[in-house]
Amino acid sequence: MSTHAQVGPSDRHRSPLMTTAGYAAMAFVVLIIAVPLLWIVVTSFKERQDIYVRPAQWIPNPATTDNYSTVVTTIPFPAYFRNSLIITAALSTAKIVLGVLSAYALSLLRFPGRSIVFLIVISALMVPNQITVISNYALVSQLGWRNTYQGIVIPLAGVAFGTFLMRNQFLSLPTEIIEAARLDGAGPMKLLWRVVMPMSWPTLVAFSLITVVNEWNEYLWPFLMSDNEATAPLQVGLTILQNNEGGTNWGPVMAGTVLTVLPILILFLMLQRQMIKGLTAGAVKG
Amino acid sequence: MDKLTRRGFLGLAGAAGVATGLAACAGTGSTATGTASGAAAGGGSSKVIWWSNHPGNSKEAEQKIIAAFQLANPGITVDLQDGGKNYEELAQKFNGALAGNAAQLPDVIVASDVTWFNFALNKQLAAVDDLMAAAGLKTDDYVDALYSDYLFNGKHYALPFARSTPLFYYNAEMWKNAGLEDRGPKTWQEFKEWAPKLQATIGSDKIPIILADGTNYLDWYFQNMAWNFGGAFSKEWTPTASDPKTIEAGKFLQELVAMKVVKFSKTPEADFQAGIAACMLQSTGALGGTTKNSKFAFKTAFLPGDGNCPTGGAGVAIPAGISEDRKKSAIKFVEFLTNTANTVLFTQATGYMPVRKSALDDAGEKAFLDKNPNSKVAVEQLAKTRSQDNARVLVQGGGARIGKSLDQVAAGQDVASVFAALDKETQGVIDAQIKPKL
Repeated sequence: MSTHAQVGPSDRHRSPLMTTAGYAAMAFVVLIIAVPLLWIVVTSFKERQDIYVRPAQWIPNPATTDNYSTVVTTIPFPAYFRNSLIITAALSTAKIVLGVLSAYALSLLRFPGRSIVFLIVISALMVPNQITVISNYALVSQLGWRNTYQGIVIPLAGVAFGTFLMRNQFLSLPTEIIEAARLDGAGPMKLLWRVVMPMSWPTLVAFSLITVVNEWNEYLWPFLMSDNEATAPLQVGLTILQNNEGGTNWGPVMAGTVLTVLPILILFLMLQRQMIKGLTAGAVKG
Repeated sequence: MDKLTRRGFLGLAGAAGVATGLAACAGTGSTATGTASGAAAGGGSSKVIWWSNHPGNSKEAEQKIIAAFQLANPGITVDLQDGGKNYEELAQKFNGALAGNAAQLPDVIVASDVTWFNFALNKQLAAVDDLMAAAGLKTDDYVDALYSDYLFNGKHYALPFARSTPLFYYNAEMWKNAGLEDRGPKTWQEFKEWAPKLQATIGSDKIPIILADGTNYLDWYFQNMAWNFGGAFSKEWTPTASDPKTIEAGKFLQELVAMKVVKFSKTPEADFQAGIAACMLQSTGALGGTTKNSKFAFKTAFLPGDGNCPTGGAGVAIPAGISEDRKKSAIKFVEFLTNTANTVLFTQATGYMPVRKSALDDAGEKAFLDKNPNSKVAVEQLAKTRSQDNARVLVQGGGARIGKSLDQVAAGQDVASVFAALDKETQGVIDAQIKPKL
């Protein structure tokens, strides 16, 4: 940071105009992102007649929590919530473990056919999962796995993206450190845990975060696989609140959305701190 | 990374081949087990699995009907399962299920006006005539226009359930302020004369009419306009969008756009309910929701024109792949679901149309309609309905295709060339996918 400031003194003495413009741009971006979210929260506290009005109501008047009780009473919310937690936890764990291990093998271990394996994994990344839906469905249905957690989790657990991301991260590590660890007699697992992973936290946390958010929001596959609240996650449950052919009561939908977003938001805030810690911890020591 | 060597590429190609082979196996394998295992698992004759998207927020009404059915038929239970948020999602889910094991197919599905035909064409739905006859049940009490919508090659492939039509909703106060008679326009030409009067009194920040856009079933509502001008999207299996009369209707829509008296929206009911549109065309299925959402009094009227109202909405169908035993239970339930008492119950809960003729003689229904004049208009309009054009409902992807063309027309593109291109596309699909199977 400090070396940077010496390079360009103009950085320190930016014109007030530029600073104002910078803040204005920042405020603008925040506004674009925050207003729809704020609208969701506000709407979730409104009575039905106050949702479609002009001029728009920015503060619910009268405010009501009816929408939240509607959500919890009209759909088996706790069951959907439990399913979402189980599916997200299982899938994220599987994806992260598989991603890290396969990336490690493909980047730092030497074995015959390594590049072929990598190419196959990467080519899997190119196939949109909508295409494999029908054949996966046939397979899972034959196994009798519809309406089971494993039917939802296992077909989704493939991790070309994680492999790709983590492999590039591992390859970017200084080879000197890896060589040094090997010379000191570290085995493959020790090398991974003691040397490679501590230097890769930021990437891993970012990858985990993306994975968790993705799995939490997964819709198509769980929707096809589950017929009721025994296994269906929240995203599928929320659609019951919507109505086709006009006239959705948006209050409960928004309330459900708020409740669905909350856990991810909390997790995000927690992991974000980790991410920064990882960035500043400094990997190269001794 | 390492270079892509020749050997690597060959390996990759081989792997891809193996993967494809596996996928193919998965597909074919299922058909074999499907026919072999039959009704071993899944529904079975004592359990009816019903996939519904609960049209019109009707889950509660559906559950009531199921409870009554189970009481009347102690041996059979009905499992109501969520099939998605709209008809298209449900069709997608059913499509997936068809690839799987037949034992895991649902027994009853909700199929909309645009989704049933493709399944029937591919022999994936059972003909209900035979099932009804075998069960000793009659079909002649169903409203003819609604039942005949499911006719294909002499057989019917669904029973009408959540059937709707478009309806003309208008803001009575704005009508009064503009000095208009308290009724809907008799023709679209008359509406064109009214629109400037409305615009003058409601102010420039409001709009005389709001319509759904092409991705939200404008194609459904526009049929009424096309028919008003003597045009249509198709006659039987011949596309007629480039017929001069249909083009005239398209030009009329463009004139309204040029006059700035019409707007298109994903959710026209939102603008109407907010009081920023004087009228809209919307499904009768939205009647309940609009009544609850609006702060002002609105009225309903017949669509412009006479006998120009398209039918729509959904029916219930039974998959062809399930065992005969399961079909027997399924037809029993489906008939019960759409019998006089239940169609009355369902109609009053949602705003959908009564699908039985005898429902209109029901004392409870009569009292309900007297109390709810808006619903009464919707029900009376049923006598003026007309089955939809094949190009929209029976040709695969028809609704979306026509909707896209209408968006182009609304954006000001030349009507004749847009509709000519539409006809060509429609004809292509008919030739490739429908003609060979007729």
